[in-house]
Amino acid sequence: MTDTSINRPLSAEELDRFGAELDALRARTVAKIGAEDARYIRRIVKAVRYTEVAGRGLLFFGLFPPAWILGTLLLGLSKILENMELGHNVIHGQYDWMNDPTLNGKTYEWDIVGTADNWRKTHNYKHHTYTNIRGLDDDIGYGVLRIFPEQKWKPIYLAQPLFAVIFALLFEWGVAIQDLRLGRWMQGKMSGAQLRKEFAPVGRKMRRQIIKDYVVFPLLAGPFFLPVLTGNVVANILRSLWTYTVIFCGHFTADVETFPKSVLRNESRGHWYLRQLRGSSNLSGGPLLHIMTGNLSHQIEHHMFPDIPARRYAEVAPEIREICARYGQRYNTGSLPKQFGQVIWRILRHSLPSRPRGDRALTLDPPRDVAAA
Amino acid sequence: MSRLLKPLIAPDVFDFWASRFNPTWSWERPLARVIERRQEARDSVTLVLQPNRHFTGFKPGQHINVTAEIDGVRVTRSYSPTGIPRADRRIALTVKRIDGGRMSTQLCDHTQVGDVLELSPAFGEMTWPQAADGRWLLLAAGSGITPLMSLTRAWAAASMPTELTLIYWARTAADLCFADELRALAAREPRFHLQLVLTRETASLDDVACTEHGAHLTTEWLQQQVPGLEQSRVYACGPASFVDDARQIAGSRAEQFHAEAFTLPAVTDDIHGTVRVELRATGRTLELPAGQPLLSALEAQGIRPAHGCRMGICNTCACGKFAGTTQDLNTGERHSEPTAALRICISRACSDLTLDL
Repeated sequence: MTDTSINRPLSAEELDRFGAELDALRARTVAKIGAEDARYIRRIVKAVRYTEVAGRGLLFFGLFPPAWILGTLLLGLSKILENMELGHNVIHGQYDWMNDPTLNGKTYEWDIVGTADNWRKTHNYKHHTYTNIRGLDDDIGYGVLRIFPEQKWKPIYLAQPLFAVIFALLFEWGVAIQDLRLGRWMQGKMSGAQLRKEFAPVGRKMRRQIIKDYVVFPLLAGPFFLPVLTGNVVANILRSLWTYTVIFCGHFTADVETFPKSVLRNESRGHWYLRQLRGSSNLSGGPLLHIMTGNLSHQIEHHMFPDIPARRYAEVAPEIREICARYGQRYNTGSLPKQFGQVIWRILRHSLPSRPRGDRALTLDPPRDVAAA
Repeated sequence: MSRLLKPLIAPDVFDFWASRFNPTWSWERPLARVIERRQEARDSVTLVLQPNRHFTGFKPGQHINVTAEIDGVRVTRSYSPTGIPRADRRIALTVKRIDGGRMSTQLCDHTQVGDVLELSPAFGEMTWPQAADGRWLLLAAGSGITPLMSLTRAWAAASMPTELTLIYWARTAADLCFADELRALAAREPRFHLQLVLTRETASLDDVACTEHGAHLTTEWLQQQVPGLEQSRVYACGPASFVDDARQIAGSRAEQFHAEAFTLPAVTDDIHGTVRVELRATGRTLELPAGQPLLSALEAQGIRPAHGCRMGICNTCACGKFAGTTQDLNTGERHSEPTAALRICISRACSDLTLDL
């Protein structure tokens, strides 16, 4: 069953025009990048640093409950900003044009247990190049959850609602071990020696983060060890819950599609753009939501232009929306409760057996190499 | 102190807080504050800098990469200190404004006392040997005077037992830097011979030669100016064309010849031609076709740079470019600036390149 009511399949010629319009929008936006964007990201750095110091400072007085609550929230806020608006976007190379070694996409290391190097591979390369392609994009369910009916059902998925909650609480740890693909080791497809080798840098990063958040800062507080420790634990969990929510809303809402590997055959630029659109969903809201989500509230814009400073997404969004409308493509957006509700429904629904509806057509024409043959 | 702090705080976090107190405090980056600015000649400004303790000093004749932020972008160019090393570690850079030159315009027109610039360690081989003797000839054209001025001042300060000749080409008398100081030195010091040459103006001063009068850099002219050229050791600095001329004339005749040029490599529109690409990290130099994306051109030579999407999205292949011009194949834009992140999967070479691979 193919649902054509939402998205119109495009002809090859239409796809080329669709791609050209987005390329032109991209070029216009890139031409504007400059001093303003540099000032903005430096302000974000400043906000991260000051909220961290304020949060950690207040936690030292954590025996006094209001100080503990405010300190924990500020530290969580700092970690969220550092993770999303600063780290995620800098690691994409969005600010490489500044030539600032502290904001360089290839060397930036962020304040979470996962290494930036693994992220560059699983996220920047695999997820952004092969977005929502089954078997290539490891972010489809993160190897833990069954989000789409195309994933094979196993009885263990009956416990998925519980896994999903645990995974949300420990999201940064899940991301940290994602690239180790422990499943392959458990199935005997990877040797223990290989796993140990790949774990070494991950383990070092984990140790550094544990020592910093759970040993050094609590010890610095002397007799107030415990409130500082719990404040750090809760701040990290808050950050995990928030990033999980935002990221799941980006690709796991109701109408988001996944694709078979065959879409890659001679994929044109227009087709790649279309796949990014069909595989992503946005969150509607104001500037505060955009900053707090690292502008992943503009998941569609981010997937089309992952290397453009994210603060520009809000500015290009109306034009992208207009282009989508002209080409009969749905621009998937909604409030956070609405989109996250759909995510929860998917998690619950696909914990039970479900049957794929069949892929919706992206294009009218057969793949080009076949047409040419 | 730094060893104690290292496990606790990342260098960029340290730098953030340190710079709240003093803009030149840093974990490891050599930074310098501009403490004086003065007009040296028409279109030329001298900036006196006070570096922090991470700057390790220079030898007269060496160069330093100076980085300034212009419209949010950090731009880097090489300059030569014109003075000699001092006890207070201050360095003086003389910058000539070049039409359309991003960095020189910034430094000449916009940089103020109190601004902070980033420095690199000093580099360059055009320095005085341990025990200099014999005859030395310095050939300077335009901004090429800067390292040679430093050598001249070092010579005067140490009263070196050598004969020193400086020939300095400038467009007009107003473009000459340090002219009074050089003339005074020539008047005071019989072993120092000075020849100033103007290429765009007929001067009325009797110590200034002009190209109209045959002061083009030719073999005859040089031999007439510098008796004993064959026994001289020569340093030349200036634009590439000048350095080429100097090398042709003096390179084979002089006892020793060393030159440094400061122009961009030629940009080619010929996508069927080849360019020379130096891979600095691996120490290899290759001839690559100019028309191809650098990634596939390198792969064709058996090099395997890190890469991912091959379409300019994932940033995996981004590598440093020290010098040369490239073209973004998606946008057609040209980039001549050195950069920390060149995406080689969607860039082709338009000139010889030096990459951090």
